[in-house]
Amino acid sequence: MIGEFIDGPLWYFSLTAFVIGVVWRIVSIVRAGVRPDLSIARGSAGRGAMRTIFSRFVPERTVTTRSRLQLIAGYMFHVGLLILLFFAQPHIDFIAERITGLSWPAVPHWVFIVAAEFAFAGLILLWLHRVLNPVTRLLSDMDDHIGSILVFLVMLTGCLALAQSHEALRLIHLFLAEVFLIYFPFSKLMHAFTFVMSRGYTGATMGRKGVNA
Amino acid sequence: MSMPATDKTASQRLSFFGLCLLAVCLLLFSPLVDAEEKSARELPSAKVFNPAAELWRDVRQREAPASGKTQVGGVETGVLINATGDRWRQFRMGELIPIGGYVIGAIIVLLLIFYMVRGRVPIEGGASDQKLPRYTTYERMVHWFMASVFLFLAITGLILLFGRPLLIPLFGKEGFSIIASACKEGHNLMGPLFLLALVMVFFQFVRRNIYQKGDLTWLLRGGGIIGEKHVPSNFFNMGEKTMFWLLVFVGSLIGISGLVLVFPVLGLGREFMALAHVGHAIGALLMTAVIIGHIYIGTVGMEGAIEGMKTGYCDLNWAKEHHDLWATKAIDQGEAISNEAVASLKGEKTSTAPPGATIQGAGK
Repeated sequence: MIGEFIDGPLWYFSLTAFVIGVVWRIVSIVRAGVRPDLSIARGSAGRGAMRTIFSRFVPERTVTTRSRLQLIAGYMFHVGLLILLFFAQPHIDFIAERITGLSWPAVPHWVFIVAAEFAFAGLILLWLHRVLNPVTRLLSDMDDHIGSILVFLVMLTGCLALAQSHEALRLIHLFLAEVFLIYFPFSKLMHAFTFVMSRGYTGATMGRKGVNA
Repeated sequence: MSMPATDKTASQRLSFFGLCLLAVCLLLFSPLVDAEEKSARELPSAKVFNPAAELWRDVRQREAPASGKTQVGGVETGVLINATGDRWRQFRMGELIPIGGYVIGAIIVLLLIFYMVRGRVPIEGGASDQKLPRYTTYERMVHWFMASVFLFLAITGLILLFGRPLLIPLFGKEGFSIIASACKEGHNLMGPLFLLALVMVFFQFVRRNIYQKGDLTWLLRGGGIIGEKHVPSNFFNMGEKTMFWLLVFVGSLIGISGLVLVFPVLGLGREFMALAHVGHAIGALLMTAVIIGHIYIGTVGMEGAIEGMKTGYCDLNWAKEHHDLWATKAIDQGEAISNEAVASLKGEKTSTAPPGATIQGAGK
């Protein structure tokens, strides 16, 4: 009964909440618009936006020296999570069956395990930095902690269900993933989408001024 | 140092949210477990007579060489039946589990008795109005990373080792099967992170854990926790240094034997695997017992002991009482700062920090 609910109505509800919430957040940001810039353009805003969206993946030298651990842990977590989410065989099967109807090649099992190790190490270290560093601790609010803990729980329960031997473990994982999907649009987790817009805006503004940002 | 009210409320809310989520999960999934267990219980149990049992017993107990000839390639493919496996099983069930259980139980009981007799070791001079910077943010991160990974592995490992006798009466066989499956997957997955944490801990703390003059005196005088006499100590005392080296050596044994167990594809035989299992379990039980003592001192056993790892700063009087050789040097170098300055640096109060005072680990 509960299993059917998690596998059925709750899944569709959470997916709908996720899609509508994300679209609503993005549309509201786009609709907010930007102030008209009456100055004469000294460079291309579009080119500046595109350059900044990608160039920010490579950190500045000051970041690589002063925040090396955050940088390494950050990449470990995000790359690991990306592989787990979109290239693990169970997830590809699930997405193909429930959403897209299309599947794509999965990474080998050992790559999946290494990605999981990276993602866990990165997430734990980043969260510890958040709570132990006095500056990031002051900057963090409840949303940051809930987001981190939810991601951790979803990843953990997924890995605990890795043997695929018990339906209950799969359902716990799915239930937490659904809670995550519902929470996602209303939290800072939205940075997974909005980072493109924020980088693009900065890049476009600077690009128009002829500044390489 | 007290936490500000907003932080306390935030952490209480966070804990409450976590507990609620756990409670919801337990409530939601306990019927699933029950249902699976009921269906398993309803299956008729049938005792099947194995007519080949006598043949296999003869094969196992024969005096001929254990390994024969075969065209099948691979590890021990020439072994028809592994007689030593039974010896390992008997050791695991008959000695390792009961004795290991008694050891862990005895440590907990001894600590309880010790606490009732000795109580919480106070800071004799009372809490000072000054603090010494003790650990950077990175050092605390490394410590808590190791702590979180170790605790996860210890809990899942103990469940795998002692779960059958302890948890089956509570959750039933099907319920325990689910817990054990989850613990096995989690334990195997988090295991390599322990090795990563071990490497990080080693490189971060090794310099201060090399034995020095005065460490033996500390040991001979029982570390000061037994008796009333003051015992001089460096940044880390003899007990902490010994725990560090135990962690390095026994932890390496646990980690490497764990990798052998997780990756049977490495081409090692069954006897080696059994040996790896025994070494892994004994090493892990030893480290668990040591860490229980470490947690005891850090939490209820000694006032001010955990403060350095929590905040990065320790009380000046605590430092003088427990690590006076280091404290004297730090005071001479002008590292002592007031509680108000520490609070200010952490953004907990608005008073001005003294010139030259730096926040522990900020930006590192």
